Amino acid sequence: MKKWTITMFVAALAAVTGAAQSLDDLNIQIHGYATQGFLYSTNNNLFTTNSSSGSPAWTEAVINITSQPYPKLRVGAQGRYELLGNIGGTTLSLDWAEADYRYNDKLGMRFGKVKTPDALFNEVQDIDPAYIWSLLPQSIYPLTSRNSFLSHYGGVAYGTLQPDKRLGKLEYRVFGGEGVDVANDPTLTLGEENSPVQLPNGWTGTLYGGTLHWVTPLKGLMVGSSDLAYQYWSSLATLNTGTTTINGSQYSWPCQYYWNYAQYEHDKVMVAGEYSRQQYAGGTTFPTDPSANSTFRVDVRAWYAMATYRLASKLIAGIYDSQSFDHQQPLQPVRYSKDWAISGRYDFNTYLYLKAEQHFVDGTALGYDANTNAGGLRTTTRLTLLKMGVNF
Amino acid sequence: MKRLLIGFLTITVALAYAAHAQAQVIVIANPGVKAAEISKGDLKDIFTGAATSLPDGARVVPILLKAGTVHEEFLKAYIGKNDTTYRAGWRSLVFSGQASMPKSLDNDAAVVEFVAHNSGAIGYISSSSPHEGVKVLAVK
Repeated sequence: MKKWTITMFVAALAAVTGAAQSLDDLNIQIHGYATQGFLYSTNNNLFTTNSSSGSPAWTEAVINITSQPYPKLRVGAQGRYELLGNIGGTTLSLDWAEADYRYNDKLGMRFGKVKTPDALFNEVQDIDPAYIWSLLPQSIYPLTSRNSFLSHYGGVAYGTLQPDKRLGKLEYRVFGGEGVDVANDPTLTLGEENSPVQLPNGWTGTLYGGTLHWVTPLKGLMVGSSDLAYQYWSSLATLNTGTTTINGSQYSWPCQYYWNYAQYEHDKVMVAGEYSRQQYAGGTTFPTDPSANSTFRVDVRAWYAMATYRLASKLIAGIYDSQSFDHQQPLQPVRYSKDWAISGRYDFNTYLYLKAEQHFVDGTALGYDANTNAGGLRTTTRLTLLKMGVNF
Repeated sequence: MKRLLIGFLTITVALAYAAHAQAQVIVIANPGVKAAEISKGDLKDIFTGAATSLPDGARVVPILLKAGTVHEEFLKAYIGKNDTTYRAGWRSLVFSGQASMPKSLDNDAAVVEFVAHNSGAIGYISSSSPHEGVKVLAVK
């Protein structure tokens, strides 16, 4: 799937450049942004940073190039540099690279490496200039596992339907393809720290799903739902038994992930809420030592409620409560994460902005790793974030 | 009684001024666009990237002003956002691969020039600006 989508993307790019008479015909745009963050926390270190001492190890830079040579066809790609604590910082990664053909407002298709259009904020989860928050609610948009669900190799069909104007509009997205999770993805990095099983080659898998947004007749109100089914496997799993290292593989049963959400925007106010449930199970098998085989099960239920208010033309404030529970975990702080956050964003101008955010976290289910918390985890954490961003 | 009357007159004048200011923004389109009018909802959809065509199926391309009173008035009257929030919405679409940023031009003359010579272009200018070569769409 990955090779097929890349081949098709390259073919579309070649067709576009071959047909153009000049660079003007290609209607090329270049955009980008960069952010620098600072974290300070009490009690625990978060996101593989030394945040309890104050950490500036939170940097990202994005470059985006698109071309729209024909009214219905757009081709583009976006690359990213990302550093978060001990994760990333050495290579550029590809956010997406796609060809997008929009036949009309009822039907469009994009294929390549594409953003996965599920949940309320998944498509913009890693686009810092897009929202007020320094961190989206971690219960549903955990910073350290977002790479796994941000995009996939395959396609998206999308459009807007309006069978009856009195009932509003329906926006749909249907998607499918091959999942993405490379060997150095934060999901794996943190998971491996807390597990004797390592996945040196990462994992891959297939996914498909859909999203439906009802833009209601009540101006400003949108109600939506998303569903994702996926199955993944890893061709190489290693286990250090103490005396030797054995090789095996890891797999999951078909996994289910769904989200229900609503958002209301009017004038200076925005309120939103979302609920999700993620269930999956799987196992790791070692042919040379079946006694080392193991199974795992996850059942995470999460939700948040948020509100923002524009205090002035350049200043916006917000607050949210975010909670997550893994019902397969024992009744300890590792089972849950509860997070109150207060946030503010000031836009100096169109290009430059500053964010400040304070979190009050209870529970250790999200965002912690063993290496930077060698003394063990405490139940509560206070996290202060500052972030400056520039975009063009 | 006198204070009440002065207050009433002040409010009346302020409302009249606001209505007059809103009426100063007009929506223009390339002459090839067949529609003579556009609803507020459709106008907002076009200028927020939610739609790329009019109800009659005609494909349109939004053209923005970079800044200024006309731009602010247009956003307030038809989009319901200020410039910061409005551009953040477009950036969401651009950086998630869903759209390209609409062209932004420096002044009304540049908008008129572009709209007049580009099929499907739709923009907004001050009603007092010369606009030969484009058609004015009534916003209902």
